[in-house]
Amino acid sequence: MSDNQDFSVVGKSLPRSDARIKAVGAAQYADDIFLPGMLYGKLLRSPVAHARIKSIDTSAAEALPGVKCVITGADIPKIKYGNWRLVPESQDEYALAIDKVRFIGDEVAAVAALDKDTAEEAVRLIKVEYEELPGAFSVDEALAENAPVIHDEYQQQTPNISLDRKISYGDLDRAFAEADLILDDVFTVHATSHAYMEPCSCVAEYDHDGRLTIWTSTQAPYFVQCLLALTLEMRENDIRVIKPYVGGGFGGKMEMRPWEFCAAFIARKLGRPVKFTLTREEELATGRRRHPMKIHSKVAFRKDGMILGKEFIVHLDGGAYNSMGPTACFLCGNFGAMLYNYPNYRYYGAHVYTNKPPAGAMRGFGAPQALFVAETQMNMAAEKLGLDPIDIRLMNAMETGDEIPGVATISSCGFKESLLKVAEMTDWRERRKNLKPGQGIGIGCYSFISGGVFNWFNTRYNFTRAEVRAFDDGTVHLMTMASDIGQGCDTVLRQILAEELGLKISDIRLTAADTAVTPQADLGTWGSRVTLMAGNAVRKAAQEIKEQLYKMVSLKFDLNVIHDMRCKDGKIFPANRPDRNISFGEAVRMAQRANRGEPIIGYGSYTPRNKGLVTPAFSFGAQVAECEVDRETGAIEVKYMTTAHDCGTPINPMAVEGQLEGSVHMGLGYALCEQFIMKEGKTLNTTFLDYKLACAEDMPPGVSVHIDTYEPDGPFGAKEAGEGLVSPTAPAIADAVYHATGYRCMDLPITPLKLLKGMKKI
Amino acid sequence: MTLPQFKFLAPTNLDEACALLKKHQGKIKVKAGGTDMIVRLSHRAVKPDYLMTLKKIPGLNEISWDDQGGLVIGALALLREVEVSPIILEHAPMLARAAHATATVQIRNMGTVMGNICNASPSADNIPTLVAMEASIVAFSERGQREISLDDFFLGPGRTALAADELAIAIKVPAPAPKTGVSYQKVSQRSKVDIAAVNIGALVTLDGAGNCARVRISMGAVGPTPLRARQAEEFLAGKPASAANLAEAGRLAAADASPISDVRASKEYRKLMVEVLSQRALAEASGFAAGN
Repeated sequence: MSDNQDFSVVGKSLPRSDARIKAVGAAQYADDIFLPGMLYGKLLRSPVAHARIKSIDTSAAEALPGVKCVITGADIPKIKYGNWRLVPESQDEYALAIDKVRFIGDEVAAVAALDKDTAEEAVRLIKVEYEELPGAFSVDEALAENAPVIHDEYQQQTPNISLDRKISYGDLDRAFAEADLILDDVFTVHATSHAYMEPCSCVAEYDHDGRLTIWTSTQAPYFVQCLLALTLEMRENDIRVIKPYVGGGFGGKMEMRPWEFCAAFIARKLGRPVKFTLTREEELATGRRRHPMKIHSKVAFRKDGMILGKEFIVHLDGGAYNSMGPTACFLCGNFGAMLYNYPNYRYYGAHVYTNKPPAGAMRGFGAPQALFVAETQMNMAAEKLGLDPIDIRLMNAMETGDEIPGVATISSCGFKESLLKVAEMTDWRERRKNLKPGQGIGIGCYSFISGGVFNWFNTRYNFTRAEVRAFDDGTVHLMTMASDIGQGCDTVLRQILAEELGLKISDIRLTAADTAVTPQADLGTWGSRVTLMAGNAVRKAAQEIKEQLYKMVSLKFDLNVIHDMRCKDGKIFPANRPDRNISFGEAVRMAQRANRGEPIIGYGSYTPRNKGLVTPAFSFGAQVAECEVDRETGAIEVKYMTTAHDCGTPINPMAVEGQLEGSVHMGLGYALCEQFIMKEGKTLNTTFLDYKLACAEDMPPGVSVHIDTYEPDGPFGAKEAGEGLVSPTAPAIADAVYHATGYRCMDLPITPLKLLKGMKKI
Repeated sequence: MTLPQFKFLAPTNLDEACALLKKHQGKIKVKAGGTDMIVRLSHRAVKPDYLMTLKKIPGLNEISWDDQGGLVIGALALLREVEVSPIILEHAPMLARAAHATATVQIRNMGTVMGNICNASPSADNIPTLVAMEASIVAFSERGQREISLDDFFLGPGRTALAADELAIAIKVPAPAPKTGVSYQKVSQRSKVDIAAVNIGALVTLDGAGNCARVRISMGAVGPTPLRARQAEEFLAGKPASAANLAEAGRLAAADASPISDVRASKEYRKLMVEVLSQRALAEASGFAAGN
């Protein structure tokens, strides 16, 4: 359906607009910002997992030369905050602990000093007296009878369950009664780190006119603005949040965080700029992470492989605060019913507090966990029913037009094509039968959202907006709060705008992610929302510009009928008379002259309406992993990855490819080597020496193809690319390991020890 | 993190270096490549008043061989130099393998084999092979020069037999006897570029009949210092390197290992890996010894 050939800019692998500045090291990240008189901040974090704070003595820290400010929970407004503003009681965090600490790393006090060393020393001089409480360190411990109540100020139906969600449709009991095969399994999946290259950092400055500016490494400037206003008791518009270059986020930077609050609070108090930059150890020991989950999944099959129904019960180990857990809890229920048609489905998801660092949003947002389980069970069912794993998927696969009852309609879907493509590319049927001992080939699939439709932040603005100003020199200025955090939306949005207006990328100036300047609406970069949502807003803004300019062509050539007009190659002309063209700049000049010099401005916004409960558009794909297992040491080497995926129109295929490689890297770590080693709530591996990110040398070669689809709700047919792809890797590798060894992983990650135990070697 | 304050010393000859070392005893740390020391400094794991680099002392990066004396690796020889040295590749290729297995190429371009040894981490990549090959450390001080066998060099994690006034200036590896083979084996959590969860160095010398005349096995990351698998060594002496004998040697090696469970591996996994890797190391070393 796509009309790729007609595109001039969209669908082209253009170099990223930030490639040069990053390659030469000139891009300024938050920590690169130095302001005159700037102080350095440092947080004191709780060394205990669960305790009441009895007293805090900051006198020694304050007496240390060079220390300019020490604040504790007693100094700040007693206001709780959280991203889920729609559910006020879900807002469960103070910027600094006031009553209790609930995990090792909970922020207790903050210091600002003339230099980092002094700030660090001052933090060590703060004396806190804790009354330690028993802790709960797993879902089971938190839900046990007489478990310590982690947020005892709330009335909770079940202690430590902060929030739950139910989905139910069809007649599941009947499905189980009629089933020929029922799989009934409990899986556990673990926490992993976003491991973004740039640790969190911010610089705050308070003006003489009482306004605050903060440069911060964030995915969502608007969230930071709103929640700083709430917690500092300021007006939103008196706070300016600027996103400088950001070195990755993966979901870990989409909330207002204590260091942002403390930088702003101290900057306001002292009238001096304050910088906070976290260390990698702080990030790994206390930072947000992917939700560990305990998942009980029961699936009913007919003997020919047809899915009859599924019950999906998920307990999210949320850590000490809600963070983005409610969204993960919500989405997990949707991902549990994705990819295949589940005519009967029941979901119960519960977000459980534990005395651990809070889990938050992380690439996939519930999908990697739900799909690891769903895809593993598809592979198990195929084996039990004597079917090929690809055949059983084809039989149940979603298609364009399918409906998830009451939840969503699939507006474009290249899933079956993806399955057939990977089967063909890998010679699946043959290789599945004929491999050497120790070799395995396995499959995993995914679907993902293109942004969410649920307004949990309770924004009163559009979900996203764009403003475009056109100039008579043939250039335009795009302003948007869409936040490039390394994924490339600054380039992709320029491509969309350039395509719509018939301009070149170099004709577009971009100002993005500055709450004082860019349009006051955009929820940020998460949930793969930017290309579709901000892309649609940019297109609409461009269309407003075009309407103003098209009239000028009619005027110039005295056309007496309404013509179908085109913008291309910097010119505007009737589709059937390209010779009657004027340049973009000339059209702008004429339009301004005709309207008393008023500037040519186009506004566009996008808020999904009538798009169900989840997302306007779903991506799909299939991935095959080939691995080799050392059956004595349990070492697993992934040899090759083959991917076919449907992201609609790839606006920039090279950027999509980059996303794909990054997601294989992250999925590989999730499957095999990344994990937090925890003891009683303490993270023991807090450096990259012992937190095992896959290295470049661990990356397998691979190949990927785009399945050609056109998403009607997306800009130029585009939808999500790159986030969903993190999901299929772990189930594909796990299936390949099973194929190689007979060990079926139900408990990620697949460590050599687990594998050897599974193979009865230990 | 910022580095703490210290005085930086860069002597240009060994005598000067030893004088400084003696003068500032207890308050001085020595660095070669700095890949471990700078990290320890910035984490305040060590807080010396003085940091002395050996980098300005000429001649300390030599890699040389002579048929009688064997191999000499200077204290400043980089991991990368050892990894690619034609001399090492000809006479002690397993030392190149061990050097190659250390960290990343960026680290290997800075770090030294001697630094890896003197850091005395039980999991160091370059220790087991050198122990198996009966290497010794040349220690230099104002009192003179002495050689310390690697077997006696490690006292505990981060602790060596070097006296406070002594500098480790070279590694000496005796020329292997005829019909000798060496192997280095390693497992870690991640398939590549990783610190060892267990590593094994083995040396096998065969006699005229093809039996094991001499066996040395060194096990890393399974005790506070690199351990010798003495039961396995004794068991194999005089016996052929058959699969059954190697399997038994592996079991005996595991019995001699005293690993702990930590963030890198569990005790049970390490024990099993000693068994697997020592068999593999012995098989490869005896294969090399037999000229296979």
